Amino acid sequence: MRVVLAASAIVAAASAAVPTRAFAVDYLSAEQAAKLMFPDADAFETRQVALDAAQLQQLDAQGTRGRSANWPVRVAKRGGATLGFVVTDGVIGKVELIDYAVGIGLDGNIKQVEILSYRESHGFEIRLPAWRKQFVGKGNASTLRIGDDIANISGATLSCTHVTDGLRRIVAVVALARRAGALA
Amino acid sequence: MRLIRHRSPPMKALLAASLALATSGVFAQTATEAELARRLDQLAAELANVKAQLTQLQQKQAQPAAAAPAAPSSTPVAAATPPVAAAPPAPPAYSGSLLGPGTVLTSYGELNYNRPTRANQNATADVRRFVLGYQHRFDEKTKVVTELEIEHAVSSADDPGEVEVEQAYVERQVTPVWALRAGLFLMPVGLLNENHEPTAFYGVERNFVETAIIPSTWREGGVQVIGNFDNGLMVQGGITTGFDLNKWDATSTEGRESPLASIHQELALARAHDLAVFGALNWRGVPGLLLGGSLFTGQATQAQTSEKSRVTLWDLHARWTPGRWDFSTVYSRGTISNTAALNAALVGNPTLIPASFDGFYVQGAYKLWSHEDYALSPFVRWEQFNTAKSFADLGPGLTPDAARAERVVTVGANFQVSQGIVLKADYQRFRENADLNRFNLGLGWSF
Amino acid sequence: MLFRKSWWKWGAGIAAAIALLAGCGGGGGDSAASANVPVAVPLSAQAALGEKIFNDVSLSASGRQACASCHSPDSAHSPANALAVQLGGALLDQQGRRQAPSVNYLSFNTAFFFDADDTPTGGFFWDGRAASLSEQAGEPFVNPFEMANTSVADVIDKLSRASYVAEFKTVFGADILSRPDDAMARVKLALAQYQKEDTEFRGFSSKYDEFLRGNLTLTDQEMRGLALFNNPTKGNCIGCHPSGKSADGAFPLFTDFTYDNLGVPRNPAIARNDDPSYYDLGLCERAELASRTDLCGAFKVPSLRNVAKRHVFFHNGRFTSLKDAITFYVQRDTNPEKWYPLNADGSVRKFDDLPVQYHANVNTVEVPYNRLLGDAPALSDAEVDDVIAFLQTLSDGYSH
Repeated sequence: MRVVLAASAIVAAASAAVPTRAFAVDYLSAEQAAKLMFPDADAFETRQVALDAAQLQQLDAQGTRGRSANWPVRVAKRGGATLGFVVTDGVIGKVELIDYAVGIGLDGNIKQVEILSYRESHGFEIRLPAWRKQFVGKGNASTLRIGDDIANISGATLSCTHVTDGLRRIVAVVALARRAGALA
Repeated sequence: MRLIRHRSPPMKALLAASLALATSGVFAQTATEAELARRLDQLAAELANVKAQLTQLQQKQAQPAAAAPAAPSSTPVAAATPPVAAAPPAPPAYSGSLLGPGTVLTSYGELNYNRPTRANQNATADVRRFVLGYQHRFDEKTKVVTELEIEHAVSSADDPGEVEVEQAYVERQVTPVWALRAGLFLMPVGLLNENHEPTAFYGVERNFVETAIIPSTWREGGVQVIGNFDNGLMVQGGITTGFDLNKWDATSTEGRESPLASIHQELALARAHDLAVFGALNWRGVPGLLLGGSLFTGQATQAQTSEKSRVTLWDLHARWTPGRWDFSTVYSRGTISNTAALNAALVGNPTLIPASFDGFYVQGAYKLWSHEDYALSPFVRWEQFNTAKSFADLGPGLTPDAARAERVVTVGANFQVSQGIVLKADYQRFRENADLNRFNLGLGWSF
Repeated sequence: MLFRKSWWKWGAGIAAAIALLAGCGGGGGDSAASANVPVAVPLSAQAALGEKIFNDVSLSASGRQACASCHSPDSAHSPANALAVQLGGALLDQQGRRQAPSVNYLSFNTAFFFDADDTPTGGFFWDGRAASLSEQAGEPFVNPFEMANTSVADVIDKLSRASYVAEFKTVFGADILSRPDDAMARVKLALAQYQKEDTEFRGFSSKYDEFLRGNLTLTDQEMRGLALFNNPTKGNCIGCHPSGKSADGAFPLFTDFTYDNLGVPRNPAIARNDDPSYYDLGLCERAELASRTDLCGAFKVPSLRNVAKRHVFFHNGRFTSLKDAITFYVQRDTNPEKWYPLNADGSVRKFDDLPVQYHANVNTVEVPYNRLLGDAPALSDAEVDDVIAFLQTLSDGYSH
């Protein structure tokens, strides 16, 4: 099955675009995060990855439920050569939306995780470098689960779990999209 | 605006060729140059038309694109560059049910079964808690959080249940670091009080240190500042209502079961002449580690008697979750001042006001087995607590004896089903009161 | 990140203000301590009349008996003598049926009712038959063993010749005396108002009250006595006579206004008791409670405030000293021969003031009545003395 590139059209996102206000709970914009992850990149090209039913099933079999079928992926390029990929996502912690971005290197492993906005009353600590550093170097071969290779933050189990689940999902989706040749 | 470079698919050539084939019959007779030019113009116009239609079709198709069409779609180069802001996929549905743009319903429930092993005629099953709450977000800085609880299923004059407002506060994120909270909120004490959903603790029943010594679910009304720092430190402090020692009933055993729970006010027509202050520090700088402590102190006679007395409670707690392990420990101690004067009129009664009470536990759990969204975590907890550790001297023959510390060992397991449901089973053994030894089963959910 | 510094100043200011208020937490001073000493206020017109009526001996058949005769202000509004039952009637030679109780602290009593546990509670008189103070106040006037007026009209006739009759007419209307039933209702009302308003009836001025206010300490013996009074395994007196402040700060009345059957021995000093078939059955003598034979022999729990000022104890005045009364509580079952007459064969005729079929109604379950023959009593002799020392702190009018 081929991955369809909806090259020009944009998935009509009904709600929150990544906030760019510099208020309290909004720490970074997606663009800022992408630049942080790939400072050498001179261009970011967006690919709209749309998964079909079979691929979603494949993800399920891997143990990663593919929540959505559409993923915009920013491909970081320098002089035409791909450096890596940046994906932004939002998950619900306990009741509030957590926006985050993840940079994935050419080896398929996580290069960097940034929290873009956080509104829960507990668990601000997921923003700390110490917690996000746990993900660096982990990829499709890793377990990437709370209570396994990722430590929890006491009192913020749901936030940590959902972000970890999201990262595991994105790693799998990017791997899948690359195998299908959609991110060249 | 960044340009998006699109690869031109091989479609264009294919289309031109197929058009040519389709119309070749029309060209068959005329061969003059003028005629050729006219035909070329016509072709170009038709091609442009088809491209425009294709663009429209593509845009319609691009929406919930799941199935793969047989032919890849083309890219109209001349079309205006589409907007760049690549929005993320639609946000997930809320884990609670979304009641409005910023309103979320929350809930948790606990159903417990207890079977004393030496007195199984006292086996009970109970909807221990049924809690409904909502959070409404007014804007990105401001929200209100409420929680309503029903204990023991049926509440009426003849039934054992109770309905209570457990939380009702507003919170405002004033600066990136500081937030202000006002209303009825949970006290930041111990590990369990603020995080008391059944999915958040091991064992069917909440541990004794955090029910008999720290009166979970302990809430007071007042104002609180909360600061979250980049080094992982969380600071909380504020002024709230306190306890009412006039509620102490020396003739019942309530005060012996939990001193503070028998005099808490729960902001229900609470006497508020004497307010209390509290502070809490929690450090989560290292992932998987929590170290923290708290202090609460306030007068508690509420100007109903000429005696003054101060209730103080402090705690130290730690939690460490390396890999699949989950270790936690809490020590808490409470003191009440001037109890000699308060107890003078109560001498001879079975339950006088203690001068001090404390408790300590250590607990270890291990995620033994997990598969997809199932997880089995056995645990062991050892706790020791004394709700009447010391009494002020009232004179020979009148001073009650300090109680013997109770020691409880709990062994069991939590079985997690999906994110928010937990099944629990455990066995508890009491050193002092062996008649309380019991086997427990529990079902809980939280969202 | 942008944040407004002014927030900090404002917030700090508020925090400081609240801290100041919290710090003021104990500054209430003596307001709580003095709150429970009732402040004497001038009596209302009705209560002032009630006081005059209360003391008016002319309203009796004998011309020598008023309410105050048996409810003497000198002994906590209970009899000043040690007679088992007071004498009344036209010639003051008729024995009353039951001992005249103190009428202090009765403004806190309610009408009779059965509570959620079917416990009889409230009501005035030893059997709770009057529903209010005013209802109780009317009965002695027409009781042939007490003030012995022949009828209500008789009472009002005497009232019309009283020194305060003009005041009575001013307060209740010039023509009130022409309607004797209405006038009697107002007499009863006035008496009730007097008892409710005059702080002499609810002084809360005993040594124990001062101790509860934190103004003094009790002696060692008095503290021992209080401990024995409260201890559910020793005296357990608080079972019916609460001694602690309630959660809302009200001072204890030393009665829960319920009823109990103690099996008090028959009192030969009461002439009626010469007839062996006569029994005073208490609660179940009331017409509406005739079917409640489980209540036969039960009488009201009186307040123990001012008990040391009394001279006679229990509904039939059987005991004339506190020592005897309390020793009876703890030795009734361990040494019954001390309290009850012996049969010809030497056995003890226990509970002789109750017909045999009601002996089972006697309280033998609660401490201290749950001892058996030959057991050690719940309180030793010295402990009884300690309890009496404590009870003596319950007398109003204490001054340092």
